[in-house]
Amino acid sequence: MRDDVYPVTGTHIWYYFICKRELWLMMHSIAPDQEDENIDIGRFLHDYYSKRGKEEVDIGSGKIDRIKKVGNELVVQEIKKTSRFKESSYFQLLFYLEQLKQMGIKAKGELLFTEEKTKEQVELTDENREKLLEAVKDIQTYAKLPVPPSPKKIKFCNRCAYRDYCWAGED
Amino acid sequence: MKKTLYITRSGVLKRKENTLFFVDEDGKRKFIPVEDTNDIFIFSEIDLNTKLLDFLSQKSICVHFFNYYGYYTGTYYPREHLNAGHVILKQSEAYLDKKLRLDLARRFISGSINQMKQVLRYYANRRKENNELLLGIIEELNSSLLKLNNAETVEELMAFEGHARENYYRGFDEIIRNDDFQFGKRSKRPPLNRLNALISFGNSLCYTMILSEIYKTYLDPRIGFLHSTNFRRFSLNLDVAEIFKPIMVDRLIFQLINKRMITQKDFEKEHGGGILLNDKGRRTFLEQMESRMRTTVNHRHLGKNVSYRRLIRLELYKIQKHLLGEKPYEPYASLW
Ligand code: SF4
Repeated sequence: MRDDVYPVTGTHIWYYFICKRELWLMMHSIAPDQEDENIDIGRFLHDYYSKRGKEEVDIGSGKIDRIKKVGNELVVQEIKKTSRFKESSYFQLLFYLEQLKQMGIKAKGELLFTEEKTKEQVELTDENREKLLEAVKDIQTYAKLPVPPSPKKIKFCNRCAYRDYCWAGED
Repeated sequence: MKKTLYITRSGVLKRKENTLFFVDEDGKRKFIPVEDTNDIFIFSEIDLNTKLLDFLSQKSICVHFFNYYGYYTGTYYPREHLNAGHVILKQSEAYLDKKLRLDLARRFISGSINQMKQVLRYYANRRKENNELLLGIIEELNSSLLKLNNAETVEELMAFEGHARENYYRGFDEIIRNDDFQFGKRSKRPPLNRLNALISFGNSLCYTMILSEIYKTYLDPRIGFLHSTNFRRFSLNLDVAEIFKPIMVDRLIFQLINKRMITQKDFEKEHGGGILLNDKGRRTFLEQMESRMRTTVNHRHLGKNVSYRRLIRLELYKIQKHLLGEKPYEPYASLW
């Protein structure tokens, strides 16, 4: 994966599939409202889950929730609260698998949804890899946009910490 | 919502472990949870040390100082905790580009005049009779608004604004109708009568509250558009205050006087001949200002109730959006 244009991370992939505006704001270091209650919940969940499992594993441009070894195989686990943002979670995990692959490490993925208590196997294929690379290219295009994409009302807005910023003065 | 801490008694403010600790002159002690503190206003003689300031920086809390007479003396503005190069670049660009700056300045002024009109209209509607004076001023403000388009420099805009404001102040005696609080003429340093003292005190609170909110955004308070920047003083807060002074300060003053919450007993004479709020008057004013800032109004865009304080933040967000080129800034216009 060529990321010399803009260093794309797993977090970018995540937001790309949820809200392009949020992606743009993040890429321009415009952080959301620090007083928003949803941020605190996010922090709490993150602390809680990462303490229960092993420490996060840093692989250069992104953080992986957990890596474990099953037999001879490396399994990357991504833990999410719910499957509401399944597409985002799925591609985020693929992204990590792709990064490992480029380091010459073959790994499989597992997506865990704690609320539903479900588990899903994820593997890099030619097909989903192509989609992933397309997303990465697209993210780099977004990084260069001079103006953020306008807000669009989606379900996620209600819990989004950018909410007040996005909708201040919108009709 | 985090709270503003107002300190009106003298004493010592310290850090004690992870809280703020205040001991007043009579030895009364109080712990103040730091996580719950948004900003601090100090109106009395306070001893503090660098350990405290370090702690406040760490918790991103601004401290605003007012002297014995209630005059604003300065702000401890911890190094900006939010920083986005992109926003600062855009803000500077809008300042340096004459056309962009004039456009933004004009938006502030027209927002300001519209708010003045709104205040006058509120009282004109309540009166029904004998409101010719107020209606007449509204008419004049309307023509001031039209003239804004002719202004070619920020200085000209400021002159139009000054003229509009003079007109607006002509309505004050009519709204208040109380001989203890005659407007006379606007006097600032020092204020020469009670009404002027109230306006000065209220305005300085308004400036500092907005500054506290700016601190929570990516905007640089030193770069104003209407009030020139000299990079030593805060000026963006003065711009934004133009929009909020009429509803935040003037309406509050009318309420305080008309409901007799503040009377002539709440003032004192300074050596230099100025008239100032005394300790008790200042406390009443602060209490009422705070409760006003906590009052919520329905926000039709967000579909929820927001406090006046939050409205300031939303206004700053709108300005940021303007600077990023997302959406032209339309100043807040109160509907009542
Ligand atoms: S509030 Fe909605 S539009 Fe704005 S960033 Fe969040 S999800 Fe995107």
